[in-house]
Amino acid sequence: MSAAVSNEPSASALPTSVSIAAGPLVGPVLRRVVGMLAARADLPLDRLDDAILVADLIAARAPAYAREDEVRVAFEPGERSLALVVGPLRAGGGQALIVDAAVPGVGNVIERLADELAVLPDGENEFIRVRLTYAGD
Amino acid sequence: MRPPPSHADVHLSLPARPENVALVRHVMGAFGDAFQIPADTMDDVRLAVTEACTNVVRHAYDDYEGLIDVHVRPLSDRLEVTVADTGRGIAASTDREGPGFGLPMIATLADRLEIDRTVHAGSRVAMSFNRVRVPLQAA
Repeated sequence: MSAAVSNEPSASALPTSVSIAAGPLVGPVLRRVVGMLAARADLPLDRLDDAILVADLIAARAPAYAREDEVRVAFEPGERSLALVVGPLRAGGGQALIVDAAVPGVGNVIERLADELAVLPDGENEFIRVRLTYAGD
Repeated sequence: MRPPPSHADVHLSLPARPENVALVRHVMGAFGDAFQIPADTMDDVRLAVTEACTNVVRHAYDDYEGLIDVHVRPLSDRLEVTVADTGRGIAASTDREGPGFGLPMIATLADRLEIDRTVHAGSRVAMSFNRVRVPLQAA
């Protein structure tokens, strides 16, 4: 095996996505994928932690609103940014998932951590897009 | 060992790039943790899956970018992993003489191996790893 591992991968036009059957693997798999992509996007440690926290919340809440019995997430890595597109969710599920991410005494964690957060309707389905960035030096 | 639920499939679709081989390898660890699969079994799983994904990165797509599809199905008695691409199919390496070590090594590590190879229509390497394995006996 002689494949070289690049520390500075260029952007790919092809999508990275994962679908995970609702159950005990959603959290562990999503956390690992998000952590690795956030590190590769050169997010600093505090934003990497934020990305993993968002992933954990999505893993915990999304199965209740998923259109099928699985959680699907597509990733949009960028320069010092990472976006997660979660869905398809059932109608109303996007906003419900965001509201569900509120933690008593803390507020809505996804809204507080995301730089961009949107519910994207698509026919009878919905998606939510969460983007985390780092604008510092 | 904790048995998996009846449906716990995971499907990853990634650009066939070297850095994504590491990502697949990292994700495989989640199965060992979640279902308490023995560490030596997971070592074999990780090595075989790494080799299968590396084959895709190195050989599947000649001059264009394509995807690696990894499908993992944990069952009560085994872990099934399929690595597929839509590239040129499995062929002899162009960068060395004779067959490589990759597929023979996967065949040694997996308890069952099935290879679908169709020239110009991609390849599919289906591996199965028993959760409880019989240790090799010394000759």
